[in-house]
Amino acid sequence: PPETSAAVLARTRRGPAPVTDVAKLCVCDLLVAQCDVNCCCDPDCSAADFSLFTTCSVPVVTGDSHLCSQKAAIYSLDVEANPPERVFKLIDQVNPSIFCIHATNYEQALTFSSPEIPTSENFDQLLKQFGSGAFSAEPERWDMNADDQNLSDANETYRYQYGVPVQTVDAFLRLPSPVVSSWCSDGNPAGFLVNQATKCIRSVSVEKCNDIQAVSMLFYINSSILAVPKSSQMVNISVQSIVIQSLNGMRTLLNDSDVLRLPMILDGLCINVVLRVSYHITYTDAGEIIEAAAAFVLGAINKEALSIEQSFEISFTQVNTTPVPLSGNPGYVVGLPVRAGFRPQGYPFPVEIMSAALLLNTNKYSQLTILQSTASQDCLAAQGARAPVLFGYNMISGCKLRITAALKCQPLAQALLDLLKGQSFPEYVASFGNSQAQDVLDWVPITHLYISEQRIYNTFQSSCQIPVSLEIEVKWTKYGSLVNPQARIVNVTATITTTTLKQLPSGRERTILITSSVVFTDVSSPAEPGYKAWPTINAKLPFDFFFPFV
Amino acid sequence: SSSQMSSVLLQLLFYINGIYLIFYCLATLALLLYKSQAFSYPEDLLSVDLTLFVVTAIAEVLRLCLGVRGNLTEEESLLGLSLVMTVGSTFLAVYFIVWQTYVLKTDIILNTVLLVLYGMESILKVSTIAAF
Repeated sequence: PPETSAAVLARTRRGPAPVTDVAKLCVCDLLVAQCDVNCCCDPDCSAADFSLFTTCSVPVVTGDSHLCSQKAAIYSLDVEANPPERVFKLIDQVNPSIFCIHATNYEQALTFSSPEIPTSENFDQLLKQFGSGAFSAEPERWDMNADDQNLSDANETYRYQYGVPVQTVDAFLRLPSPVVSSWCSDGNPAGFLVNQATKCIRSVSVEKCNDIQAVSMLFYINSSILAVPKSSQMVNISVQSIVIQSLNGMRTLLNDSDVLRLPMILDGLCINVVLRVSYHITYTDAGEIIEAAAAFVLGAINKEALSIEQSFEISFTQVNTTPVPLSGNPGYVVGLPVRAGFRPQGYPFPVEIMSAALLLNTNKYSQLTILQSTASQDCLAAQGARAPVLFGYNMISGCKLRITAALKCQPLAQALLDLLKGQSFPEYVASFGNSQAQDVLDWVPITHLYISEQRIYNTFQSSCQIPVSLEIEVKWTKYGSLVNPQARIVNVTATITTTTLKQLPSGRERTILITSSVVFTDVSSPAEPGYKAWPTINAKLPFDFFFPFV
Repeated sequence: SSSQMSSVLLQLLFYINGIYLIFYCLATLALLLYKSQAFSYPEDLLSVDLTLFVVTAIAEVLRLCLGVRGNLTEEESLLGLSLVMTVGSTFLAVYFIVWQTYVLKTDIILNTVLLVLYGMESILKVSTIAAF
């Protein structure tokens, strides 16, 4: 009959009825229709099963222990009897405390409330109450807090903070990026001060060349950026440069970047398709964006192309500063090049040094370099290939020098020194990854050591010494807090080992090995715990304590 | 002297009641605080119980003042008014025993003592009024 099935449906929707009779409650009865081991309250166990138990896992089942008098079911095993049998007692347990609950007039006091089963009537209300990530017992208060937040924000002046999406007139400045797969998703906003570079694949075809918005320049410079969030001050995105890339990969920089080049079909190709966009945003230290520029690389696609790879980049520069490539902030990051520079020429030392800034090579990978081993392994044919010294990476390189009788010593020594040290060997190394060139005291001078391989028993013999190895030892220490130690360079020593070049008889040849190496040594001293001083007891009697007598 | 009709025993009971009232107020307030922290006590029920407690305290003070004044000045009207107020106070004490949200054993003990005092005072008041 339909009513009973509806009743059954209603009952199942409500959930099972709670069991409150202690005689029927059994928490160790986990297996249905089977006897659980050592579960004395299990109704599926027979007397034969009970005789095999060793102990009762659940000795007593009671209700709420706060109540003054409550029923308790006590299960125990009588091991004296043969065979052992289970003893079940139902007693009234009395709570001796005077704070026991005698009665309550509030039904939900001592039981867990069963949650509301969602139906079509109460679904919206339940969703409003429990649908968010966190909910409290009083949903009204949650709404009130949101209103308060809006009011307080209205009076505050806005500014961009790190990570906040850069807002434009429509929505956000988009940096298409791959999400889950490599296909481009246009919903990724660019975060303020977050330098990002992304690459993704977009499906295109020559027929839909004009329809796909994301391959047109206009899509990227159309909406202006808001200088400050939620304001009406707008900053137009200017086109910094346009590079045209032909089908075979050749790139040409266009002279006039004012003309907007939109995709169009020409000779069966779709040209002016955006392949790469680089945004450069200039900001002030007040969190305002004052300038935005975009550099494009436009390419062409032919009929066979089904997809193109687009790459996007965004970088932020503070106004009135030149972007200095940092090797860490403040401590050096392993893998980034060690920064080094020179004292400017013509400055007499030592007084003027404190006010003079150091000169650095603009290419951060060329500031401190060592010889790079080549395939030919011939020193004199080395062609000047240098490898940058990266922080934390010990490196060794070398080459073989063929000495013949015809080689003159002095020019050879000079050539080898140039080979080992490079064209511009720096004088100072930055102690921190973000040391500025103006702060000369933040820079560590390179100490030079000259060691001769031979033992000095014939010092008076003016033989010729040629350098055979350059070893740069960089001593660094951990600086700062224990949880976030920063790497700091404290000492750089460049050791040049020389050896005597013995004159060879003509026709004979010798090969010597020229090496150069960089070693990073951690000289951090172990951290010392700092303890607060013991509190001193400052007990002094008032000066008139012994009044009548003193 | 024999012309004095004020009841010494009633005065004694009023005095004991006054001291007990102070203890009762402090104990019930502390107990309400304990109940609100140890058990789940919704705010509306807690406010009802607190209001009735405050009403009990004020009614008791008024009742005792009226009774003491009536006994010492040998006024029947004041003593009669105090008797009527005793009936009200009895209802409040019964509320605290039966219809409170959480009735602990301590509640029962405190309020039973109060009811015993009310009973003895009522008998003595009736006999004192009859004597005036």
